[in-house]
Amino acid sequence: MNSSMEPKQPLSEYQANLEILMQLPLFAGLPFEPLKVLAYLCKRQTFQPEEIIFHEHEVDANAYYILEGQAELIRETDGEAEYTEFGEGEFIGSMSLFCDMKRLFTLRAKTKVTCLTLSRDKFQKIVERFPEITTKIVQAILMRVHEWEERLLREHALACDDCRKRLGVSLV
Amino acid sequence: MITKRPLIYWVKSSSIKLQVILLVVIAVNIAARVFPLQMQRKIVNEAIGQKKLNLLFLYCGLYLAAVLIASALKFVINAIQTYLGQETLAKLRKELYAHILTLPLSFFRKASSGMVVSSLVTEVVSAGELVGQAIAVPVNNILTLLAFAGYMFYLNPLLAALSLGIYPIVILVVPRLQRHSNRANKMRVDVTRDLSGKIGETVSGIHEVQGNASYRIENRKYGEFVDRLFKIRIVWNMYKQGIKVLNNLFQSLGPVILFLVGGYLAINGRFDLGALVAFLSAYEKLYDPWKELMDFYQVYQDATTGYQRLMEYFDVEPEHALEPPPDREPYEFEGSIHIQDLSFTVAGGIQLLKQVNLDLKPGEQLALVGFSGSGKSTLAQCIAQLYSYTGGSVLIDGKEVSQLTKRDLAENMGIVAQSPYIFDGSFKENLCYSCEALLEGKAEKEGRLPTLDEMIEVIQQVGLFVDVLRFGLNAVLAANQEAELVTKIIRIRENFQTHFGEELADYVEFFDEKHYLDYSSVAANLTFGSPNRDEFTQERLAENPYFLQFLDEAQLKRPLISLGRELASQFLDILGDLPLDEVFFQESPISVDELDDYKELIERIGHSRIHELTPDDQRLLLRLALRFTPGIHKMATLPEMLRNLILEGRFLFMAKIQQDHPGALAFYRMSDYIHSQTILDNILFGKTTSDHPNAQDRINQSIIHLLIEEDLLEGIVEIGMDFKVGTKGDRLSGGQRQKLAIARVFLKKPPILIMDEATSALDNASQKRIQTLLETKWKGKSTLISVVHRLDTIKGYDKVAVMKAGKILEMGSYQELLAKKGVLYELVHGAKAAA
Repeated sequence: MNSSMEPKQPLSEYQANLEILMQLPLFAGLPFEPLKVLAYLCKRQTFQPEEIIFHEHEVDANAYYILEGQAELIRETDGEAEYTEFGEGEFIGSMSLFCDMKRLFTLRAKTKVTCLTLSRDKFQKIVERFPEITTKIVQAILMRVHEWEERLLREHALACDDCRKRLGVSLV
Repeated sequence: MITKRPLIYWVKSSSIKLQVILLVVIAVNIAARVFPLQMQRKIVNEAIGQKKLNLLFLYCGLYLAAVLIASALKFVINAIQTYLGQETLAKLRKELYAHILTLPLSFFRKASSGMVVSSLVTEVVSAGELVGQAIAVPVNNILTLLAFAGYMFYLNPLLAALSLGIYPIVILVVPRLQRHSNRANKMRVDVTRDLSGKIGETVSGIHEVQGNASYRIENRKYGEFVDRLFKIRIVWNMYKQGIKVLNNLFQSLGPVILFLVGGYLAINGRFDLGALVAFLSAYEKLYDPWKELMDFYQVYQDATTGYQRLMEYFDVEPEHALEPPPDREPYEFEGSIHIQDLSFTVAGGIQLLKQVNLDLKPGEQLALVGFSGSGKSTLAQCIAQLYSYTGGSVLIDGKEVSQLTKRDLAENMGIVAQSPYIFDGSFKENLCYSCEALLEGKAEKEGRLPTLDEMIEVIQQVGLFVDVLRFGLNAVLAANQEAELVTKIIRIRENFQTHFGEELADYVEFFDEKHYLDYSSVAANLTFGSPNRDEFTQERLAENPYFLQFLDEAQLKRPLISLGRELASQFLDILGDLPLDEVFFQESPISVDELDDYKELIERIGHSRIHELTPDDQRLLLRLALRFTPGIHKMATLPEMLRNLILEGRFLFMAKIQQDHPGALAFYRMSDYIHSQTILDNILFGKTTSDHPNAQDRINQSIIHLLIEEDLLEGIVEIGMDFKVGTKGDRLSGGQRQKLAIARVFLKKPPILIMDEATSALDNASQKRIQTLLETKWKGKSTLISVVHRLDTIKGYDKVAVMKAGKILEMGSYQELLAKKGVLYELVHGAKAAA
């Protein structure tokens, strides 16, 4: 049935998506069935240099996986100060798959950026059919938050007094 | 008021002329019905008895004539009855509807829409039909009864008295049974109403039902109503049938007495045979009018019960008059608002507003802020007369709001509700809704409707211009559109490619003869033109023998069938047994309703080779392949070789069809308009490759630029105004709906504006735009009362009132209140800390 077994045929976009998603920590350990639907419902989008991918203060119900290119995270309210950069292989916005949240940052393409996007609407359709995947994905997100703070503690936070008082995100 | 009228009112208000005609026809009809009896007697006694053939013919002829006349008149009677009944029904429906529209909002909080629907659609029917019968049926049947009974007395008084003696018993018994039937009927009306309400509720809440998979709960609740209705209907029908059966029984007892007594008299020679036959006929003829009378009695009882129930339900007074008295025009207010000791108490003694005091000069702007439940929306709605306040006063230009008519308010006030309602119809109809409401029914309406310029100005102000432009660009022009427009569009197409072709190459795939088009279907790649004949439309190509033959020649048929098979199996492999949701089909060549067919097909053909498939199966797979659009349908790829074959096929097809069917297709050419495609596709002369808003923006901007050059911008926007918004505006986004609701009120230019969280569904930029507009264009012109949910928009208001638990805690300008460090200060800084 699956044509990927046949020789010489280039991969379809869906098949390529599937291979990528299978490697992602966020989706690791998901059964094959929902993964296939995820790969099918993902969309590829291209952003030109300087193009805004999402805007601070606005609700954006998409998650992004960068396939190619560099994007910078800025805050327009702070006079466009740059915070960090995202590049190939990074996954952004997994929380948007679960609820409406206004973005705290703006993401702007630095070079031409190609990403795989998944909208919450579509994601929720998959969850309706495979409710069990929610637990696994939420676990992966929470682990990420935990690791994040762990790294922060290890690397920076003890240096400044004020920061120390505001730590503890992983305890929410 | 309509609900106070008894059923008899409708009989009286029906056409008197028709009722009189009806009575006359009935009288003639009765005569025509009694006459054959007399003929019957004469036929038996004079013609047959005395063996006179000429008399037999004469009497039979007369008999026939009487029967024909009676039948014809019966039809006339029914026709008049139907007309009277339906006329009343229509009148009843219209007047009740008009009454329901004026009922206070509080009524609709307890009434469900399903209930109102069933009242207007089904419950009024029996009352209306009764009115048609109300005079004709009783008069007709009672007179007929009397006529036949009289004839019987004329033949033999004793026999007549004996056989008619049964009827008084019936008259005693039936009403008792009918009372039970009425009680059951009353319950039926109530339960049917609950049932309609329940259905209405599930339909409007279907997303919650499906979201919670609460099918069982809803089925159980609905089932309970149906079961109750089932029981009641059985009881009700049993009583009705019981009455009928009883009636029949008495009726059949009659002949027994007749034969017994009549036979005895005839044997003794005191009664001739002809008279006995006539008597029996007369008795039988009594049956019909009697039965009709009984039926009428039941219909009358059921209809009266239903009608009373119906009118009781809607027996609520409208709180305000609709129109001012004839001797005064609607007020024209300046817009000053003075509120004193306003309070609003709802059932149960709950005070939603307490001692509110407020003063606004014409043109002043007030923001109402506070937590939800603080009464800010309630206050706005009291000013708008949507709630009737229970104490204190609200004065507009010195006039008490509760005393104003709806018309006075509509002329002077514009209300944007929290969740505005958009009606089915075009964008323009919705935009002009408020303005048209004021003009409906008035003469010289045309001149006073907003002009196109005014409409465009207002949609620009609220930020809908680009949206409407887009609707216009996505419209397909009718074939007979003016040539000038078409020429301009072609010119724009050329300029678009020269000026923006390179820049937008990432977003548009231009129609190019020499290249394969990834964003057009395989069929479009082959035909490369728009069809002029039905059999060449893309959906029908798989059935077109000429096209199939061409595919064979071009060596395309098998590879395409194989592609179709791969598409179907991939799609089924991905989706498996997922529920049928539109989302899963957006990027698939298979549509929702075809899924089952293809599922069955793929299972059935298993690993069979293509040449083993039936022509029908081949056609199904071919159809999918012809729809395949590599840029959209990502579950499969188009092999390089097939791609080249198709491209070759395009040129073969062009050559072939120009020879065999010239004119069947119009090939895509830079100089020709494509009538089967949207204006946008015509300008692009290609397809967009991304539906991301950014991409659309860039395309839009370049197109707007070119449209302005050709002076076509407004023309396209005008086409866009005819966009059909769908039921409840469901083809618009939440933001578009809210902007449209604001625009329709702005277009009316009222001296008082009430906005109840009117921008809650808008993004930041749009919210800011509306706020700026209020502060620049409307300040000083319209008094504004705005219920605000976001504190960052209130700086520009003249006054801010902070509400809590139905009271205004503090009021003043934004700066004053912040300086005071009171509640607003806390709210603002609390909000900041939380953000």
